[in-house]
Amino acid sequence: MDRREIENLIARVALKDRAAFDVLYDQVSAKLFGVCLRVLSKRAAAEDAMQDTFVKIWNNADRYQANGLSPMTWLITIARNTSIDRLRARKSGHQDIDTPGLELSAPGPSPEQAAVAGSEAKRLIGCLDGLEPDRASAVRGAYLDGQSYADLAERFNVPLNTMRTWLRRGLLALRECMSQ
Amino acid sequence: MTDPQDTPPEDDSFLAAEFALGLAEGEDLANARFKLAHDRQFALKVAAWQESFARLTDDIAPVKPPRKIKKKLFKDLFPKQQVPLLERLWVWKGISFAAIGLLAYLAIPMLRPAPPEVPVPVLAAQLKGQSGPLELLAIVEAGGTEVGLRRIAGTAPEGRVLELWAILPEQAPLSLGVLPQTEVMRIALPAVLAGKLGQVTLAITDEPVGGAPDGSPTGEIRAVGALEEI
Repeated sequence: MDRREIENLIARVALKDRAAFDVLYDQVSAKLFGVCLRVLSKRAAAEDAMQDTFVKIWNNADRYQANGLSPMTWLITIARNTSIDRLRARKSGHQDIDTPGLELSAPGPSPEQAAVAGSEAKRLIGCLDGLEPDRASAVRGAYLDGQSYADLAERFNVPLNTMRTWLRRGLLALRECMSQ
Repeated sequence: MTDPQDTPPEDDSFLAAEFALGLAEGEDLANARFKLAHDRQFALKVAAWQESFARLTDDIAPVKPPRKIKKKLFKDLFPKQQVPLLERLWVWKGISFAAIGLLAYLAIPMLRPAPPEVPVPVLAAQLKGQSGPLELLAIVEAGGTEVGLRRIAGTAPEGRVLELWAILPEQAPLSLGVLPQTEVMRIALPAVLAGKLGQVTLAITDEPVGGAPDGSPTGEIRAVGALEEI
């Protein structure tokens, strides 16, 4: 998918252009549905999450420009966070995940900064593979399965604080690897 | 308690990552939300992590969602009764005109009582409502300056008049005037439609007596049909 085309569509959706929303749906719904299905596994839940995702896109497209994300990342992040909110909704005391561009956020990065962030992002997979397997697996578990510290600590059979320290080291190593 | 001002940069980066992953809880989450709203550097870090983590979805294969999701989404977001006429053009395009040839054949004598010596392309439309009884047949010669209409069924609701509109793709409806209550009508076409008749959709709305007050349709769509060459 062409970045500029998606960006242009989001800009038109921000102006409440339904025809553009229609085209945007046709262009990106399969990818976003794939993400919802990956997180939620169950089809019915993924369908609901998809619907919510597009309602959020329609209602918040005017905030896209300010958040400094590439258009597909913004859309995928909304789909992922919406799905994880659904996954966690059954648990008590759950707080929804914020998505930049759906929450108030400080003015976003300049295009140059965003470009740097984009080129660093490309290195994530390679850098993740360079981490200790458990740490990489914890990052994936948090992002794709919505696992909390408590879930991860249970899964790896370590105390909560140890889990946090682990992940902290893992993420900082990741940061360093990606910025090289 | 972490003081946002004193947080070392690496802590900031970790908090941004935790926040992006959805791992931040309690005080950390509150702190992250505050910083996201006020601290540009922090917002940038969160965006950078989001950009990175989104790569984890790169190998997730697209799955075509069932059509019903799109239908339901559009129905929920754009309930029909609240949609202004102008924005409903996409609905209109979907109306079928299977019967048009036959009806147009019957209507040709309205415009041309005698067989023409040189055949001129003719466009026609069958205007029907989705629910109501109103039905008209419209016919116009290519290059013509007026459209002939024959009422098949239905009248204006009590205390209202019927107004005819011409709609070109992506443009606001153009009023062609209030329809007389006769069975056969001839309505002049404005010059802006010249050469574009094949793209015109005709629609009839009910309006207050005297027609739509500000030149845009205000009432229900009573009948609609696209002009097609026959």
